[in-house]
Amino acid sequence: MALMLERGRLDRRAVLKGAAALGGFAVASPAIIAARGETPIKIGLVDPLTGVYAAPAQNEVIGARLAVSRINAKGGVIGRPVELLVEDSANDVGTGVQKARKLIERDEVSFIIGDVNSAIAQAISQVANEKKVLHIVSGGHTDTITGKDCKWNTYRVCHATSMEANSVCGTLFKQYGKKWHFITPDYAFGHTLQQAALADLTKLGGTMTGNELTPLGTTDFSAYLIKARAANPDVILVLVQGSDMVNCLKQIVQFGLNTQVHIAGLQQELESLEAMPPEARIGIWMFEWYWKQPGVPGVDQFVADIRKVNNGKVPTARHWFGYTSVQTLAEVANQQKSIDSLKLAQALANFELPPDVKLQPNKCYYRAGDHQLMSSAFIGEALAQGKDDPEDLFRVDKVVAGDETALPVDQTGCKVQWPA
Amino acid sequence: MTQLLLFNVTNGLIIGAFYVLMALGLSLILNLSNVINFAHGGFLVIGGYIAYAVTPYVGFWGALLIAPPLTAVIGFFVERILIRPLYGRDPLYSLLLTFGLAFIIEDGTRFIWGAQGKPVTVPAMLARPLSMQFFFITGYRLFMVAAAIVVVAALFAILRYTRLGLRIRAGTLDLETVAALGVNVQALRSLNFAAGVFLAGLSGVLAAGQLGLEPTMGTGLLMPSFVAIIVGGVGSLTGTLIGGLLIGVASGLTAVFAPAASEAVIYVLMALILLLRPRGLFGEEGMLT
Repeated sequence: MALMLERGRLDRRAVLKGAAALGGFAVASPAIIAARGETPIKIGLVDPLTGVYAAPAQNEVIGARLAVSRINAKGGVIGRPVELLVEDSANDVGTGVQKARKLIERDEVSFIIGDVNSAIAQAISQVANEKKVLHIVSGGHTDTITGKDCKWNTYRVCHATSMEANSVCGTLFKQYGKKWHFITPDYAFGHTLQQAALADLTKLGGTMTGNELTPLGTTDFSAYLIKARAANPDVILVLVQGSDMVNCLKQIVQFGLNTQVHIAGLQQELESLEAMPPEARIGIWMFEWYWKQPGVPGVDQFVADIRKVNNGKVPTARHWFGYTSVQTLAEVANQQKSIDSLKLAQALANFELPPDVKLQPNKCYYRAGDHQLMSSAFIGEALAQGKDDPEDLFRVDKVVAGDETALPVDQTGCKVQWPA
Repeated sequence: MTQLLLFNVTNGLIIGAFYVLMALGLSLILNLSNVINFAHGGFLVIGGYIAYAVTPYVGFWGALLIAPPLTAVIGFFVERILIRPLYGRDPLYSLLLTFGLAFIIEDGTRFIWGAQGKPVTVPAMLARPLSMQFFFITGYRLFMVAAAIVVVAALFAILRYTRLGLRIRAGTLDLETVAALGVNVQALRSLNFAAGVFLAGLSGVLAAGQLGLEPTMGTGLLMPSFVAIIVGGVGSLTGTLIGGLLIGVASGLTAVFAPAASEAVIYVLMALILLLRPRGLFGEEGMLT
């Protein structure tokens, strides 16, 4: 700075360097929320804020932030304010691990949450285990996280892929027919989801006409659809997610395939339905959480609060995941009057969520045997247009409790090893 | 089986036509300016989002007319302000610049329009298949192919029969001599860059109708276009045209036998071509050195 003043003018390069440094600082430093009071309790959140899962990830962050502001308004956790540190995993396993390590080692967070991407969630689980930090998987679905790779310190809020399949396969079989053709994303999440659905289909007495493994980020599904149509199934199950789901359904409708075979799938999200033109919003699906639940305590308030911080838009399942992950940590820490990860992990076994956190009708608890949250599945049909609200794009026909959709613990492959 | 193959070859040609449109823009810029434009996918996204923004006022057809030239104007200024200072340097500099620019454009669109995808509805008359059996040939996809043919024909005509085209072609072969003959090379490069970006913008509008909009959509569409250029041969627009169609068909045919490999196959094809004929099918030796 002195050098610049001596010259009597602002050197262009120096200004550029300064601006770049400032920009770099803004990018590198995590967003710090609600840093009030003394010695806050830090919670780290790692999610793919950039890349193909940016939309669900950003919604998880908004939900988590709402939880933090509610918790702090009520006096924090054991009298201390909560601070949320958000890091971008950029949808990359290496980056996700690096950010998780940074949060634990440098920022000294007490707990860690994340990631939308199953593979990253699994890797963070490993790091958190090594560092003995309580970890909540907000939105990565692959079975193994609460299956054969389960850890004492890892709990999961979103559904396991087998729960998703079990919740809706019976309905699909009954209403659409017994010959199924899968369009599956070619990575951990897709593989376990398709295997679970195939197991259900076989049990029900149906057959698979084919399984198209599509690379993540596929833009043109026509070749797969030509093949699927040629196999002559009763129903084409679209298992791809995010923008892949949008592209695939859009092409199915443009090709008029929906007039020839039934189109459906397992997991569907509001983010995807909103990104589609109305005519592509078709089929029977399961939602992991839905914003319209008349008479269920706390839901209306949650919807109103999210609207305030979400450009007027309603919460999706992803907002609820972020919200519930943070609330779980606060609830159990307040109950135990401690932030010790081991103590809280033990207390979370069979821990039941209170009504203003679970925001759904059925009992909602973390199962002791595999650390999976037993939360409900919302089964119903996609709607082209919302009736009372433009975002009411799903008609819920039934809500199935988590206990009924989850595999018995001895079939998950999980054996929780507690530290000595 | 024969029918399935025939379907996929036709389908591959349709997809290939889109890659050609995208790759020709890249190729134009690469040939004259030696700039490997990694931001091309970004310009595609800009074109698509501009179309999305103006559609409520001017409809799909209006957007198709407005968005590509507007994208080209943005491209023109990007070339003047950011890329021009790097011409004298190693092509690596402009590669890094456009690589960074791609990230900035992606995050910029996310900042303005949000991370969540945006639906784009195409005119009803185009959004239906021509027959039940050939369901994959929809009005819109035929329109995309027609648009690609018209634009490619126009581009080749301009390059072949106009003074500007002559200069661009001459510049591709020997820019120094063209400059020595009194041609304003800077202006030529700006115009040429803008023309390339125009094609990206047009691809963006067409892709938006087919796929909807998403800030990351450019990345997925950019790589096959690069492959098309390498397969066809750097320096040859005809090569790019054939390369684009070839990878479309290759990917369509692979989908019949090994669906999971249908994206990987274009890279295998590229590797094979590079091994057997390093300059590409129609490429000129010694480009990019």
